[in-house]
Amino acid sequence: MADYIRRLPVYLLLDCSGSMAGEPIEAVRQGIKALVSELKGDPQALETACLSVITFNSSARQISPLTELLLFKEPQLVASGATALGAALTVLADCIRDEVRTSTPTQKGDWKPLVFLLSDGAPTDKLDDGLAALKKVTAGNIIACAAGANANVSTLKRITNNVLMMNNLTAGDMAQFFAWVSGSIKASSKSIDAKPGEAVQLPPPPQGFVIVP
Amino acid sequence: MKNGDILTATLESGETLEYVFSANPPRGGMKHTFFTPDRKYAVQFFNNPRDAQSMLMQERIRSIVSIYNPTLSEKQGGALGNTEKTADYFRTKFCWPVGVVKTPEFGIVCPTYPQGFFFGENASAVLPLKGKDKKSTWFTGRNRKYLNKSELGDFRMMLKIAIGLARSVRRLHQAGLAHSDLSCNNVLIDPKTGSSVVIDIDSLVVPNKYAPEVCGTRGYIAPEVLATMERDSNDPHRCLPCVQTDLHALPVLIYEYLFLRHPLMGPKIYSTESAEKDDHLAMGPMATFIENPDDRSNRPDDLDVTISSLSEGLEKLFLQAFVDGLHNPSERPSAMEWESELLRAWNRLVPCENEDCDKKWFILRDEKEPVCPFCGTRKTQPLLKLGFKSNIRGKHGIFRDKTEVYVYDGMPLFDWHLFSNIHNDEKAEPEMRAYIRRHNDMWLLINNGAEGMLSPSGRLVPKGTAIELRDGVLLCMADRENGMLAEATVI
Repeated sequence: MADYIRRLPVYLLLDCSGSMAGEPIEAVRQGIKALVSELKGDPQALETACLSVITFNSSARQISPLTELLLFKEPQLVASGATALGAALTVLADCIRDEVRTSTPTQKGDWKPLVFLLSDGAPTDKLDDGLAALKKVTAGNIIACAAGANANVSTLKRITNNVLMMNNLTAGDMAQFFAWVSGSIKASSKSIDAKPGEAVQLPPPPQGFVIVP
Repeated sequence: MKNGDILTATLESGETLEYVFSANPPRGGMKHTFFTPDRKYAVQFFNNPRDAQSMLMQERIRSIVSIYNPTLSEKQGGALGNTEKTADYFRTKFCWPVGVVKTPEFGIVCPTYPQGFFFGENASAVLPLKGKDKKSTWFTGRNRKYLNKSELGDFRMMLKIAIGLARSVRRLHQAGLAHSDLSCNNVLIDPKTGSSVVIDIDSLVVPNKYAPEVCGTRGYIAPEVLATMERDSNDPHRCLPCVQTDLHALPVLIYEYLFLRHPLMGPKIYSTESAEKDDHLAMGPMATFIENPDDRSNRPDDLDVTISSLSEGLEKLFLQAFVDGLHNPSERPSAMEWESELLRAWNRLVPCENEDCDKKWFILRDEKEPVCPFCGTRKTQPLLKLGFKSNIRGKHGIFRDKTEVYVYDGMPLFDWHLFSNIHNDEKAEPEMRAYIRRHNDMWLLINNGAEGMLSPSGRLVPKGTAIELRDGVLLCMADRENGMLAEATVI
């Protein structure tokens, strides 16, 4: 029988600038691994969620196209260079436009995408260009995580109202962040007890994380 | 506190219980869960401290644990009229809270689900399923293809699951309770054994006493609840979860078990504005049954097996639930109607003769057309039907037809096949009284302990002996009060 299941597109925007080298980037790698494994154990997430990874350093690119969980291949992450956050947003906008199915009279469209952005620094390019590109697409829910002491919270606040602060860039905190991301994806994939068009209810952030008001 | 720390909860009963702290515990819409070190019990706390401190919530939980508890006999402080036996029975059907936590904060203690509701070592070759609970979506959604065949059960086991669930919901409703959030997440199933368990009991709604806390789960929320969600919670036209909304979720689950698809998710596009809008209309105000005979707008092109392949009674109930009652809650069949119609269908199950048929069993609707609807194989072996007749009260020797059962090799017979006043439910003894054997092209009925079974010539059939069931044979199942006659018919 044909499938009438909508996809829940999930985009991970990951900062891979030089300052992430070493333990932080390794923790991100482990985090993605754990995230995919966790979601494969949840029937609704497995049915609906699709995952994509966009990395940014001196430039930005999509290293994993939007893929269903079972076919998802862990990307190669290398940390070096600057923080082209603006370019990352432009790439995100392009991907959403190209990959997320819209509703038409003959096609069931995808759910609004869920975007998780992780950055440990301040953008080194023009953020405004990225913001302008993002305005042209339906980005859905964007959750930004300011990782570590050098993360620029006020910049992230310009992208989304949902900003979390992770105080340390330790492997433990990173693992918790990814566990929380998987909890959020699971909640979104079965929720929609929220009113149509409203923001999804995400679980409370893990201990040691602060929601930036 | 860090992962793995052992903490102590004090219960309102005065007992204490140790549990293991986790920084990222499993989290539902209302609560999060820790486990005792032996994992026999789950200790649950509310996500929102306001819920935990609410006097109404606390009172609700206390009454669920006691006076509304069908898993505890009335003598032990459980539900009214509940015996040890029915309490034992329903303990296997519900994961009912057993205690109230006083400190460190208000919470609930529940038994963990029986082992059969967790995936074991070899459940899937591609997915890390070991230790995950068996939410029904694994078996009814498109993930099914990733499970090993040994996990999937067959059509008979899925029908058994449906009967068990209908019975559990009937028991809740009988006590005046509504579950209010029946869904694929709150009913775990084990198709290997055909068992189900209802979990997340604490959101129970007691009409006029404890209002619902949750709206429900996508796909199982009744259309009228979705349609009126925007209204103020004090608006009298706002529909909230209740017994009647359970009676929408119940057939959705039953339909999923029997057909492995959702009854409302079809190809129809309701709105192109957004996925969220379309879905709201599709599950809410505009919802259309994919098998609606008068409105085919949501009907998939490739529907193979439909409700017309079930018994006539079940077909009628599905139409009543998803056509007449979809937007008209008072028309929906009751849980008791579902239970008894599913049992009637159970009696009409026959094995498919195609060894490669995945479903292995089907409901025989038309004796002249004994064809498996799943694989198209026609039955060639003779079929035997037992018609049970009960004595009309006060009229000695006058009997009327009660039920009909198709028999198969190895079929067990119970007290409800012997006595007209005993029904296949939680009150019946689970002991097998007799069984059927196909031997040298003969149908045999072997007495396994039924008292007073008489052969067609009126001779006593002692335990361990058999009678041949030839066409037209009439035997007395029990020469006792309410004992039934059984007439064999070869088809």
